Amino acid sequence: MSIPWGTVTFRALIGTLLVFLLAPIVVVVIFAFNSSTFMSFPLTGFSLKWFSNFFSSDQFMDSFYLSLRLAAITAVISMVIGTMASLVLIRGNFPGADVLSALFLSPLMLPAILTGLALFQYYVILGWPRTFTGLLVAHVIVTVPYLIRTVTAVLQGSNMALEEAARSLGASEVRTFFEITLPLIRPGIIAGGIFSFIVSFDQFAVSLFLVHAGLTTLPIQLFNYLKFSFDPTIAAAAVVSVVMSVVVVLVIEWTVGLQEYAGL
Amino acid sequence: MSTTSPTAVSTLPAGSRRRRWSPAQILLLLPLLALFMGFFVVPLLVMFVISLLSGNPVSDDNVHFTLANYRQLFSDRFYLDVLVETLKIGVITTAIAVLVGYPLAYQLARARSPRVRTMLLMAILSPMLTGIVVRTYAWMTLLADHGIINSGLQSLGLTEGSLPLMYNTFGVVIALVHIFVPFMVLTVTGVISKIDLRLEEAARSLGASRFQAFLQVTLPLSAPGILAGSLLVFSLAISSYVTPILMGGFSVLTLPILIYQQLSGVFNFAFAAALSFLLLLVSLIIVIAYFRVVKKVAEGAFS
Repeated sequence: MSIPWGTVTFRALIGTLLVFLLAPIVVVVIFAFNSSTFMSFPLTGFSLKWFSNFFSSDQFMDSFYLSLRLAAITAVISMVIGTMASLVLIRGNFPGADVLSALFLSPLMLPAILTGLALFQYYVILGWPRTFTGLLVAHVIVTVPYLIRTVTAVLQGSNMALEEAARSLGASEVRTFFEITLPLIRPGIIAGGIFSFIVSFDQFAVSLFLVHAGLTTLPIQLFNYLKFSFDPTIAAAAVVSVVMSVVVVLVIEWTVGLQEYAGL
Repeated sequence: MSTTSPTAVSTLPAGSRRRRWSPAQILLLLPLLALFMGFFVVPLLVMFVISLLSGNPVSDDNVHFTLANYRQLFSDRFYLDVLVETLKIGVITTAIAVLVGYPLAYQLARARSPRVRTMLLMAILSPMLTGIVVRTYAWMTLLADHGIINSGLQSLGLTEGSLPLMYNTFGVVIALVHIFVPFMVLTVTGVISKIDLRLEEAARSLGASRFQAFLQVTLPLSAPGILAGSLLVFSLAISSYVTPILMGGFSVLTLPILIYQQLSGVFNFAFAAALSFLLLLVSLIIVIAYFRVVKKVAEGAFS
């Protein structure tokens, strides 16, 4: 029997590419638990000191709480106003629907660094100091597109005839929304909210110009730390972030299914 | 319809096609519209106006309208070099992202077992959800002069000194590919999974080898996906800041880095705004091209 060289080569290629994708993350996780300051093999021994470094640093913890708070509030606001807009946009039965859709999705395509810069200059001109609210506004703008995308995807996949049926049976528009539409799109709202949380929590570009010494988000704090030191404290912070991401991916898989989310 | 494209919001075949706004629609749209007008559209317009000023309108006296910022941008060799370097990094990153992303997308679209597909998708999405700073750091630990790859090679006696894997365009590109390749995979997978498998089977039954069938049937049909993914990766790559600055170690200068320097270093408001508009213009061209491709895919113009 001949060996199917084509298949073997292709499998090997896929394996190599997956290693390329995952190896950097795996390496970071390994060195987060290694006792040496230097990141090279052989490993020197198990240690949790980089985690204790991370969790005992006031700077990192202040940023960590700021980012958590910012991401949570961002996600809630995005979920509310994004869902409201999606309900209208999905039907597209009014003048200018295409333009509005393009506008609300455009932060996804335009460089986020420019969204942040434009807001920073705007605040300066208006004489507004850099505040939490200023940062929050920017984060809502860059996360809303994700919310709209997930909610409309679910809306498109769901059976809208149910809505019409409820209406024709005499239910009010409000009652139809709460008893039919909302349960139908709930997975999309949840997935979109989680995505907004992660996008906000990991957001760097849009925050760059909007933070200051007393108001620094975790990604910016990590970046500032990296410019001067290179020890595995960052690796420990990375593990915390990887764990959060894995949890998020699992939650998306359980609520809406990853394949649906990715549109496959 | 694929939700990986930003055009996912499309029109449903509405039963009753209203051509006017209803009060309920206005009420539902208003919060988001107000937010976008006040904190997205107007700030971008303000930025454009600032780019036409001779100085910072808040701190300087005698500020007047001028084209000097744009003239400086296009007459000084230095700024053109930065633009070329930025575009170069974008092109190389995109090309490698196609080579890395396409096989993964193909496997993802064609895998029969849902279990395999979910595992693959997790492998591709999980790094995507790990912050940009963290992933750049991961590449720094691998590629630095005393990093894992260099120290590994030296302890095996394969190299004498350190290979220059970082603080140059090479390092920047490798990390950028890693960060943005998931976008390519998701876009291409959406297109490949819509190609009728029977076309490939027909080619094979007519005597083509598997590879020939792929080259002559599937690859051409997935070209629009490659194009859309490329435009996406390109626009992300040219606007990234963290990766070029950390992996390039100040020896690689791109447009976003220059913009930041102009603001935080020199505090040259107006010139930073002009540079931003150059970047915005390039991105806009890409975005328009992207939407045209996506629209044509949806209309089936390529098949």
